[in-house]
Order: sequence, then structure tokens, then C-alpha cells
Amino acid sequence: MYADFDLVIPETLDEALEALAGAVGGGNGGTQPLAGGTNMIVDLRARRVAPSRLVGLGRLDGLRGIRIADGRVRMGARTTMSDILRHPDLAGHAPSLVDQARVFGGQMVRNAATVAGNICSGSPAADAVPALLALDAEVTLASPSGTRVVPLSEFFLGYKRDARAPGELMTEIAWDIPPAHSSNRFYKLALRKGDAITVVGVAVALAAEDGKCGTARIALGAVAPIVKRATAAEAMLCGQALTPELIDAAARQAVDDVDPIDDIRASAEYRRHCVHALTRRLVTQAWERLT
Amino acid sequence: MTGAPQDWTRAPNVNLRQVGKPLVRTDVPGKAQGRTRFAGDHVMPNMLHAKVLRAPKASARLTRLDAAKARALEGVVCVLTAADLADRRAATDIPGQTGRKRLATDQQILVRERVRYHGEPLALIAAETLALAERAADLIEYDLEPLPGVFDPVEALKPGAPIVQGTDNVVATYKVRKGDLEAGFAEAERVVENTFRTQFVEHAFLEPEVGLAWVDENEVINIRVSTQVIEHFRAIADALGVAHNQVRILGSMVGGGFGGKEDVTVEIYLALLAQATGRPVRLAYTREDSFFGHGKRHPFVITHRTGVTQDGRITAVQITMTADAGAYVFLSPYVLLYAVVAGPGPYRIDNVHIDARAVATNNMYTSAFRGFGAAQACVAHEQQMDEIAKELGLDRLELRRRNFLRTGDEIATGYAIESAVWSDDCMTKAWAALGERAPEDGPVKIGRGVATYQQSYGRITWLHDTSEAWVGVEIDATVVVRSGVTDIGAGQVSALAQIAAELLGVSLGEVTVYNSDSATTPLAGTTTATRALYMTGNAVHLAAEALRGRLIGRAAEEFGVAPSEVDLAESRAFVIDAPDKSMALKDLVGICASEGIHRSELAMFRAPFTGEIDPETGQGRVHPDYAFGAHAVEVAVDTETGEVTVLKSVGAHDVGQAINPAAVAGQIEGGAAQGQGYALSEAMIYRDGELMTPSFSEYLIPTAMDMPRVQSIILESRSGLGPFGAKGIGEPALTPVAPAIANAVADAIGRRVFELPITPERIVMALREAEPRKGPR
Ligand SMILES: Cc1cc2nc3c(=O)[nH]c(=O)nc-3n(C[C@H](O)[C@H](O)[C@H](O)COP(=O)(O)OP(=O)(O)OC[C@H]3O[C@@H](n4cnc5c(N)ncnc54)[C@H](O)[C@@H]3O)c2cc1C
Repeated sequence: MYADFDLVIPETLDEALEALAGAVGGGNGGTQPLAGGTNMIVDLRARRVAPSRLVGLGRLDGLRGIRIADGRVRMGARTTMSDILRHPDLAGHAPSLVDQARVFGGQMVRNAATVAGNICSGSPAADAVPALLALDAEVTLASPSGTRVVPLSEFFLGYKRDARAPGELMTEIAWDIPPAHSSNRFYKLALRKGDAITVVGVAVALAAEDGKCGTARIALGAVAPIVKRATAAEAMLCGQALTPELIDAAARQAVDDVDPIDDIRASAEYRRHCVHALTRRLVTQAWERLT
Repeated sequence: MTGAPQDWTRAPNVNLRQVGKPLVRTDVPGKAQGRTRFAGDHVMPNMLHAKVLRAPKASARLTRLDAAKARALEGVVCVLTAADLADRRAATDIPGQTGRKRLATDQQILVRERVRYHGEPLALIAAETLALAERAADLIEYDLEPLPGVFDPVEALKPGAPIVQGTDNVVATYKVRKGDLEAGFAEAERVVENTFRTQFVEHAFLEPEVGLAWVDENEVINIRVSTQVIEHFRAIADALGVAHNQVRILGSMVGGGFGGKEDVTVEIYLALLAQATGRPVRLAYTREDSFFGHGKRHPFVITHRTGVTQDGRITAVQITMTADAGAYVFLSPYVLLYAVVAGPGPYRIDNVHIDARAVATNNMYTSAFRGFGAAQACVAHEQQMDEIAKELGLDRLELRRRNFLRTGDEIATGYAIESAVWSDDCMTKAWAALGERAPEDGPVKIGRGVATYQQSYGRITWLHDTSEAWVGVEIDATVVVRSGVTDIGAGQVSALAQIAAELLGVSLGEVTVYNSDSATTPLAGTTTATRALYMTGNAVHLAAEALRGRLIGRAAEEFGVAPSEVDLAESRAFVIDAPDKSMALKDLVGICASEGIHRSELAMFRAPFTGEIDPETGQGRVHPDYAFGAHAVEVAVDTETGEVTVLKSVGAHDVGQAINPAAVAGQIEGGAAQGQGYALSEAMIYRDGELMTPSFSEYLIPTAMDMPRVQSIILESRSGLGPFGAKGIGEPALTPVAPAIANAVADAIGRRVFELPITPERIVMALREAEPRKGPR
């Protein structure tokens, strides 16, 4: 493999933002952040990207780690999948996020792969994204001119297009600790059990109020140009006591909320079938935990 | 019907002290400590780095190829295109020393005009650095004019189909006409017909192809390379137009082969560049290069039409087979022949009709792969057995029992088996080892499957296969073995050391094996066809036995007893009934040395030699012998998503004699994993000849997360033709695994997916066909 680029490894966040400030558009060239490199190196080898400069985030320790305080989970952009697995309290609040980390790549990839890298790769099969969408996560974007917070549900604009302005760095991913009567789940369907690209990813988060479903979130991976929430299906569940019939109807609605394609891993038809089957299964399991 | 297995246990000719023990293989410490030097670990001063430029289209005419810009790049030393080469071909012969006539459609070394498959090499580059070589590849300009191609073997046989090369697309045909098919079907009470399909499969060895070549002071082209076959030096010399004794292949420990390093890979490219530049040249394939750089397992379409009586006796079978040979012939005719010989499976069937053909397409060429056609045949015959059992309402194991071959029965090609046939014993033990059935849980269904096989070991008998080994005893009573055999990771070398150690009464650590050098080690033939232990093990056995005879003879003189009263063990010679009468082996060897008694022996082992089979009936001997065994699995299938989890996986094989049971278990475990990938997840997908799965993120071999703990059951009939009655396990370990899994999935869901790999999607679709109104659409 050969690739020509400059590598800058800033010591502070400000230096990093400065180094990125000149970046021209997302695109495939210009200046780009480098986190774990598990997408970047693959893309460089395949020549899908040709950056002239990479800004390595490896020394920005402030961007790594999970803090849970004041009812909020705040995760640094450089937090890795292994960090998620090692955190003692996360499994209680966000089993869906921990479950996705467990089936994410292989051990070596989990040690390097960061959450922001996963989000910013823009892949519809990015495994952390459905769980984070279902948790109503928000992301913080920083540049020398300041920071802004964007709901993850508004971050993705289209296939490999997102809300980052040129040079903006993602610094944090955060969400409110789910309420007491809530449950979230994730399932990754792939063609083998270890280290495989997701064929259908489903995350479900439900909160119960007075024996009814208060809020419902269903996020679906690898079945549309972006990871997508099945908002019409969610609406069918909200305010209802969930019955098998209703869950099945919502799961069918979820199929209409997505737009999968045929690829070498699976047909669109099979993906639709699995969106139905897995949405039904996960909503049922989440609801059973609440009742 | 079969009763107790015939007792084959022969009294071994020596009292086994080391053979049959799970010793730590001689290659293990070096590998575990990272000290083993593979071909890619060798570098030389002043070395150049090479790169192969490949065609991005499957069927095209090369109308322009201009390397001027690449040659002009500073640091690029050499660019070779077809225009720079004599019009020679890379000979495709069954590898080795047969001297058979070349097949008509051997591969061009570089594309001269016509591109026949995606990835066919256009140019070779040697540069001061790898980065420069890669950059040079980008600077080579070419135009490819698309030509109509043919991508399906059945289409390729239709009139008007594009011809890949020569006059038609038929690469090879074989037929079997045994007994009276019509009479057999007349006797049948049921006829069961099914068609089974298999896919292109990649070997996915750990170590991609790699080599280093240099021309020495005697003008000999030396190539240190990762290969299964050092005897390719001849074909390489022919391709270069030099004498056979001007090419030397040095092997290294090989990081896996599975048949993928059975054909020439990087050798000719390296030799050409070393010749052209006069400098050492290193070429290391990336994984992507490797996917394009060697032939795949043949996809087969196999139809079985089986006549059977109500009580489960098979009266006739008619089989048709069509294999996709891809763009060049390589070993397709032989793979097809192996599929034919194994076609009906390990069953006695008196009336057999087989028509098989291998057909050229513009897909990737196909060649050797562990199981070599017999594996594809097994996928079909073992699924067919389950379908027959289902049709008859008979137990699947019982149906097999009623039809198993027994010693003395003829196989499809008319050869009567002389060794033990322990299929039933193996099947029964493997099945029993599955133990208690896992419970079912909602949509998750449990299923079980078994498969048995008939797999040859040793090469085709009309190739007149031989193997040589040299064994010597040093003055200090350590032992040296020299043999050309390549060690491809299965412990081939360690097994030879163990045999020599056994016969000469020393420990494994006191044997050093020098192997895999076509110039200095006696040629042993290929490490393919489950033949290395059989052939070279026998050669070592012959040589060591001759030495043993001399040592014992001289010791007997010294002790004043008959040679039959003397044994060797623990580096001593001693009188068996009076062990206090003994001497150190070192002292005995010292006496031999001073008296000029020959302390070494070069032996040749010859497999049975025959003529070819009858071309009209397919009758005759094809292989020295066959191995038999079984694999059983239990699976869980999620009937909503189609996901399969293999819960238990058990191989039970009669290996004749396990030289090292730990190495045998290693083969069974590896075979279980490779066979599981074949069954469930692996497929090289070519769309209009273009590879859609060029990396390990698309081509899915099983991971540790996918594998259950594999159980190995080793049976030893001591009836094989190898050393101490050994048969073989390299290929047999793989062959029954995929059909066992296919049968287990069918058992779980009550429907069969007739095509490998059995993906979740295919399972869901098969279930949907059963219940058309299920599912959201
Ligand atoms: C073998 C293998 C297995 C894999 N398995 C999975 C899997 O199971 N599931 C899955 O979802 N993915 C998988 N991936 C893909 C990849 O590992 C993940 O997407 C990972 O999370 C990427 O993170 P990273 O830190 O390595 O990103 P990098 O490769 O460093 O960066 C990815 C992209 O994000 C940008 N970026 C990184 N950090 C930031 C930031 N803070 N702000 C703005 N932009 C940023 C980079 O510029 C780049 O464009 C796998 C990859 C490999 C090689």
C-alpha cells in the first residue's frame, strides 16, 4: 500500500481544531481527522480516500472516557468499543450499546475503533449508531469558532453525508440516562458470528408509563442509505399497551419506514423480512422486561 | 447387516514407542516462539520489490499496453509485458514428475491479446521499493475492448456460446458405465432425483503467496517460495526456456496450502524479473492479490437419480456432474475424475451411470482444493442419502448401514477395496458423541446431520507416483532425514521425524529433517492428494528400516545373538530378552563408521502403478486406496432470521494408524472449520466474471466465535498403505463436514436448501416457499 499524506499529531484540542480548520469539505481529499484508523486505513488501502493531511487524535486524552453524572451519560469522541465493554455501569443504563460493542468487529478492532469514528464513517451499517439513535444521543461538534450540539437524529443527511461543517471535529456523544421504567435492546444480524458487516441492525428503546408505552424508539441499520429511525412504527406504539398484534403491526410498519438495497450480503427482500422479524422480537423482549 | 468390524489390526513390525503418541510436533516450538522463517521472512541485499498488474475485466481484448511512463519512473528497474517475453506458456500438468503431455489450453504467462478472466496478469514490475512498484503499476496505460464472455458452465455448452479458448468449451469429460442401469431401476421401488449445487471457494490460507528469486553465479535461478510443490522447477524452467537443472526451488515452512499452492503461483514472475534484472526480486501478494492469484474450488452442479427398494437397498444410481473450470484448464480434468470416482459415495451400488464434464467459462480458473472433487461429490451423495431416507421413512443412519461398502466390494470405477472400510463404526461413534440433544427455544429449531465419504489418498495410479527420502545416522547417533517434501503446516516433517525416530530408537528431538530443496533433497513429490505421509512416510520407513537392519545386525554380532533378538530404543541397542546386554547407539555407530558400514540410505517408495481406466466404461484402478469416516453435527437454526449456529461438531475417521494423534486431531479440527465455512458462509461471488468478494470483509471464513469445540475420534484399522498401516487424514477431515451441516439444517427446518452456502437468506426463502403466506410481503 502506498499513500502520500502529512500526519499531524496535536497535543491539545485547540491545536487539533486549528489543524483541522483549513480542511476543505468532507470529501475524500484535504485534511481529515484520524482516530482508531480502522476505517481510514482500510479506505486508504482501497484508495477510496486520498487525504493530503491526517490529524491524529491519539494524544487527546480528554476526548476519551465515559462519565455518568447528573442524569447524563457523556462519552468522549475517542472512546473505544473496548472502553464501552469495560465500563462498569454502562450495561445497566444502555445494554443496547454494550451489546453492540460485544459483537463489534474482533478484539483488535474493538480496541481501536472509536465511537466518533463509527458515527463519522457515515456507514449505514455502523453498529454503534442504532443504539445511540434509540437513546436519543446528541453529538458535540467543535471548531475554532465554537461548539454546537446536534441531535444524532439530525446528524445524518444522506449516504456518507452529515451535518459536520468542514473542519468540525466531533468531541462528545451524550444522552440522558434512560428513565427507570425503560428498556433498550440491540441485535446485529450478520452472515457469521464474529467480525462481520451487519446485514440488519436493530435497536429498540421503550419507556413505560402507567402500563403503557410512553416513548418508543426503533433504529434500523443497514437498511437505508443512513441508519434510520422507524418513526411511523414508533408512533404506533406510543401511548399504547403493547399486544402481540400491535407489536407485529408496528414491526410491519417499520418495514415501510426503511429502504434497503440488494448487495452481496443479502437481498432487499430478505432485509425487509428481517426488519419485521427482529423489530417484533426486540420490541417484544423490551416490553416483557417492562411488564 | 455389517456386524462387528473385521479385525484389521496387524501386529506392527516394531514395538511402537513413539508412533501413535501425541508428541509435540517438531515445528511447534519455532512457530509458537515466532522463530520459524517463512518464505516471506527472507530478504537479500540489493533486493527489488515486485508487483503484478492485473486486468480489471473478465473478457476483453487488450488493444494497447504502454509501460513507457512506468519505465521512466525513477527507481523502477524493470517492467515486463507479453511483448517482452517469448510466447511460452505456464504448463499446467498434474504437478510433479509425470512428464505427461501438456494440456492444450495452458495459461499464457502475461496477457498478449486476450483477457480471459478477471485478474489475469498484464504486466510485471520490479522497483527499488514496493511503493515505487505500486506507483509504476498506476502509470501503465492500457485499453481493454470488452468481448462477450460466458460465465455459466451450462450456458457455455449451448450452441453459439462464446468460446473461451480453442474450439469448444468442454475441458474434460469422464463417464462410468457399471452394471446394468435399466435393470437396476427396474428393480427399484422408488426413484429419488435431486440436484445439488456448490460454489466457488477460496483456500484462505494464512500466508498469501510470497517468494524471493535470484540468479546465482552458476546462472541457476533460485526461487525461495511458499509452495506445496517444489517439483514445479521443471515447468518453471520450460516457461523460461532454460534447462531443468537451471532452476532450483527452495521451500520454507508453508503457512497453509489446501491445494491453493499446488499450482505455480509467483514463481515464474519472480524468475522472469530476476533474470531480466540480474538482481534478487521479492514478490509478496497482498490478500487481495492472493484472491486473484490462484485457482478456486470448482462449483459443481450434481444431479443424482437413485433407484432404491422399499427396504432401503440402492439398486441403481445415475449421476450427472457439471463443473465450472473457469478460464484455464489447470487441474480441472483430475478434479473431475476424483469427483466421478467418489460420485456415489461409500456405498456398494452395482449399477452406476455417471456423466461428468468440466466446462470452460470466463470465471476465475478452478483447480486443486482439499477434497479435490470428492468433497463436492460428497456434498451431493450425502444430501441425497438423507433425501432417500426421508422418502422411505427410514432412519438416515440405517439407510447408510444397509448400503455401506465393505472390504472386497467394488467402487463405481470397478476397483475392489482391499483395506478396511470402517464407515459404519465411524458414523456410529460420531453420532453417539453428539450426546444429548439441545432443547428447542421458540423459533430456534435443533437439527442433526451426519455424512460419510470415500476419499482417496495418494495420486492417480497411472501417474506412477514415487517418493524419495534419505536417512542417515551421524557419528554421535543423531539422525538426519533429507527429503524434498514440503511442510504446509500439517506436521508433514514432524511425522517423518517420528517415523525415523521410531525405527532408529532415538527421541524425536534427535532427528533433524532437511526438506523442500529441489536441488539438494531427494525429490519426494507433492504435498497434495493426502499423499505426503503415505508416500514420503513410506520412503523414510524404507530408508530407516534398511539402516536399522544394518545397525541391529552389527549389534547382534557384538552381543553374540541373532539380529531378531536385538532392538533399538532410547539411543541404545539391546538384547530384547536380556536388556542388561546393551550398548549406546553412539558406540554402535562408531563401530559402523570405523568399519565402513554405510550409515545412510536413499530409498524410493513406489505407489501401485496401473494403466489408465477404460474411457468408455470408466472401469479400472484410479487410486492406491481410500479412506473412510464420518462427521456429525448438531445445529440450531433461527427460523425467523435463518441464522445457523453449529452447536456440536464431531469427526470420526479411520486413519489407519495415527503417527501423531495430536496432528490428526489438528486436521480434523481444521477440516471442521473449513467445512463449516464451505457449508454456511464462504462464497467467491463472480458477477459476469468479476469478483465481488475481493477481501475478508466479503469472503467470510468462520471465526472462533462461529466454531464449537470440535471433537476428534480417531480409529485405527492399521489397514492402510502408508507407514505402519496409515491411511491419511488431510483431505478426509474436510470432505464430510459440509454435507453433515446441510443435513442438520434440513433436519432442523424440515426443508432443504439445495445450494451451498446455506445462508440465512436461503433458509428463510426455503421456509417461505413452504408457507407462502408467511412474512411481511
Ligand atoms: C476488521 C474490521 C471489522 C470491523 N467491524 C465493524 C463492526 O462490527 N461494526 C461497525 O460498525 N464497524 C466495524 N468496522 C468499521 C470501523 O472499525 C468502525 O466504523 C470504527 O468505529 C471506526 O472508528 P475509528 O476510530 O477507527 O475511525 P477512523 O478510521 O479513524 O475514522 C473514520 C472516519 O471518521 C472520521 N473521524 C474519526 N474521528 C472523528 C472525530 N472525532 N470527529 C470527526 N470525524 C472523525 C475520520 O476522519 C474518518 O473519516 C470494522 C472495521 C474493520 C477493519
